[in-house]
Amino acid sequence: MNEIVFEGEHLLAGNLGHMAVVVSFGTAILSTLAYFFAVRKPEDKSWEKFANSAFYVHTFAVLSIVGILFFIIHQHLFEYHYAWQHSSRELPVEFMISCFWEGQEGSFLLWIFWQMVIGNILLRTAGTWKNPVMAVVMLSQIALTSMLIGVKIFGYKLGSSPFELLRNAMGNAPLFKRPDYLSKITDGNGLNPLLQNYWMVIHPPTLFFGFATTVVPFAFVIAALWKRDYTGWMKQALPWALVSVMVLGTGIIMGGFWAYESLSFGGYWAWDPVENASLIPWLILIAGLHVMLIYKHTGNSLAVAMLLLLSTFVLVLYATFLTRSGILGNSSVHSFTDLGMSGQLLVFLLLFVFLSVVMLVWRWKELPTSTKDEEIYTREFWMFIGSLVLVISAFQIVLTTSIPVFNKVLGTNLAPPSDVIAHYNKWQMPMAIIIALLTAVGHIMKYKKNTGAAIRKIGIWAAVSLVVSVALMFAFNLTNWFYLGLLFAAVFAIIGNASLLKPLFTGKAQLAGASVAHIGFGMLLMGVLVSSANKKVISINQSGEQLNPEFDTKANMEHVFLEKGKALRMGDYEIEYKRDTNEWVNNYYQVHYKKINPQTNEVEYEFDLYPNAQINPKMGLVANPDTKHYLSHDVFTYVSSVPKDKTDGKYINPKTAEMKVGDTVVTNNGYAVLKLVDSNVKDGNVDMSNMQLLISAKLQVHTLDQVYEATPMYGIQQNQVAQFESVLDEARLRFRFTGVNPNTGTITIVVDEKDTSGDFIIMKAIQFPWINLVWGGTIIMVIGFTMAIVKRLMDISRPIHRTEINSNK
Amino acid sequence: MKKSSIIIIVLIAVAIGAIVSSYGDASTYENFSVAAEHPGREYHIVGTLDKTKERHYDPRVDANLFTFYLTDDKGETHKVIYRAPEPQDFERSEKVVIIGKMEGDNFEASKILLKCPSKYTDNQQVQN
Repeated sequence: MNEIVFEGEHLLAGNLGHMAVVVSFGTAILSTLAYFFAVRKPEDKSWEKFANSAFYVHTFAVLSIVGILFFIIHQHLFEYHYAWQHSSRELPVEFMISCFWEGQEGSFLLWIFWQMVIGNILLRTAGTWKNPVMAVVMLSQIALTSMLIGVKIFGYKLGSSPFELLRNAMGNAPLFKRPDYLSKITDGNGLNPLLQNYWMVIHPPTLFFGFATTVVPFAFVIAALWKRDYTGWMKQALPWALVSVMVLGTGIIMGGFWAYESLSFGGYWAWDPVENASLIPWLILIAGLHVMLIYKHTGNSLAVAMLLLLSTFVLVLYATFLTRSGILGNSSVHSFTDLGMSGQLLVFLLLFVFLSVVMLVWRWKELPTSTKDEEIYTREFWMFIGSLVLVISAFQIVLTTSIPVFNKVLGTNLAPPSDVIAHYNKWQMPMAIIIALLTAVGHIMKYKKNTGAAIRKIGIWAAVSLVVSVALMFAFNLTNWFYLGLLFAAVFAIIGNASLLKPLFTGKAQLAGASVAHIGFGMLLMGVLVSSANKKVISINQSGEQLNPEFDTKANMEHVFLEKGKALRMGDYEIEYKRDTNEWVNNYYQVHYKKINPQTNEVEYEFDLYPNAQINPKMGLVANPDTKHYLSHDVFTYVSSVPKDKTDGKYINPKTAEMKVGDTVVTNNGYAVLKLVDSNVKDGNVDMSNMQLLISAKLQVHTLDQVYEATPMYGIQQNQVAQFESVLDEARLRFRFTGVNPNTGTITIVVDEKDTSGDFIIMKAIQFPWINLVWGGTIIMVIGFTMAIVKRLMDISRPIHRTEINSNK
Repeated sequence: MKKSSIIIIVLIAVAIGAIVSSYGDASTYENFSVAAEHPGREYHIVGTLDKTKERHYDPRVDANLFTFYLTDDKGETHKVIYRAPEPQDFERSEKVVIIGKMEGDNFEASKILLKCPSKYTDNQQVQN
């Protein structure tokens, strides 16, 4: 066989990359084993030293993989499949970063990177817990790095390498038999237009950092069971659990913001399996966090706390399996396609399920239990109930999201509910009500014992909240009294927790973290309620004409046909499609909005929106909405369809006029007056060589509400007639100077109109009221978490905390 | 009886409710003949676009009406009515999933999922 020598390839980068992947995988195994033995033989310090060294090499290897992959994308080395598939030459640098996580390999790499960073933090902060915790973290790192190996072992392809060459990935295409194939590949496939959004630059790193942090509480629980030390782990694990809740929550809501801004899910939350997959572990983690606090303060419910923290990481792995194995297929539009790694992902998942079950069963009998009956008037009781409600809520989401899994396992043929949103809302709304109520009730009560004063306080604040929520019902214009329950719960969560904000003003701000986070949650809930209850499609056709007699109008006529230059009344707005402009690969459509007062018919205010559409050669039209943000509402507009071929540059209805200075010609949308004829023109834009004559005609053009100036010219150049037309884009008129008549002393002007009949957009506009409550609530929640993290970190540095329980020992 | 036992019983009851509900709300992947037997019930139907028959969308007349013919996996073809603009590149899709119900001889689709032969990992598009 004769080897083909391929020209122009940069193989060094890929070889180094491959090597770095193998090294990272190898060092992950070595350090896992070494940390394991360091726990088993604590007297032998050499194991620990060796483990640390292996971990340092691992860190270096992971950084190298990231660096090399970025180099390949940045330098447009399209001989590599990953660069070719996910990037292209004209991509701006910030989107090159997004290319990283468009593919499965890159997003695993991101996860590996964060887990490595977390390992480095644990190495320095975990103290006596370092060895067992690192052993668990590195075990997960083995599983993750194995996803990048891309080597066949015994006929099974282990992982998928980001450094695969295009000619290997594409197999037998004849192009790759040519030594100069690379010169034929001028550009990459490009980044999915849906991901060309700044939120997509920061949402995945945040989300994956959140995913990666869930391994830490997991590792601490395993370590606690392993070392049979059931109290010490808490102090260390608590701030990590808080960080995890905060980062994962931020990542999820950023995804919501992206979905809202880019329309890909038709709102900020669509209960898509991909969204659910990250929500489920988050809910369980929040439940786990609360049960951890119960244990910390009362010494009860340790087993439940452990179970929940273990489940969180397992559910992160389950989410990974769902979104990356291709099993969601028909049920989600956003999942990754199968890269042949579903088996490996399943092994990864089952390994950690197995580890969790074995460790729990092994130590189950030793775990402290309480035989006392629970007190009802305590914070811990209601906190526990709240956590259980969170678990049920997560359970319900898991159940429906897993329908494709049941189909696979049980051989059924179920499809997701046809009205997914209604299905989830039916379950999640009541749970949200209970949880919101409990945040206030549980938080006002104290741990262990309460007097009648706390109960009275709850009653008073509940009464205040009821009055406020009835008032808000009218303020927000909610008509359905069913919403009062949810609104009351949200208001009660805000007011009840706000009554606990005293530490904020007494210099102990860090103690108010939980109250602030719960207030944020209440606001978020209120925002969700108001924005979805009063969300209004405003692009309902209001012309009054029965458009299609064949069908009655029961259907959702939510899209309007908008011809360029023709204003249309749409609810309280008058809209007009003014023009389109092209920038890079996107077309921007200027839509002018006038808000009309329904009583007086006067224009209250005006604004322009520029929704854009990218006509992508591979994906068709990809719409990007444009939104006008007001404090109380957003006006959201997107283009749902544009004509395939525009009648560009066609002019119709020509009118010819013989004119003298001062004469008027009637145009299609007004009139024009000839002001001046100038035979001594010096126009810098015109090539004057051999120009024997050049005359300009200055016309003042009046349309309904505007005045323009048009200056067509007429010349003789090399004994030939040369005409220079004048086009008024905005007025959609064209003026031509076509002749001079010396006998009558007139000139000939032809005016015609741009044909805009083929120039239209079909758009939809939605008004989201009070969406800012959703974002604002989230931000407040994050601030609350940050305050709580600061407090827990201060607890670690303080040797003995008064509420610390050591009584079990 | 301990309160925790009561809580556990309530929990199990709610969990069973959730299972029943998600099963009850679940739609199924079916073909036209099953959908025709139960008019008014929502189904997911997977099929291919019948390219021999007319695809109709005229935004000038009605921007919210798109009709086409779909052949299901049993080979049965029906007219599909979709009250929204035609999804872009509709004709290029290999497989179409329509969600909706039969009304008379026509299928009223409330949602269309397209599977396009694209090289993107994100190879489907949703329109609703």
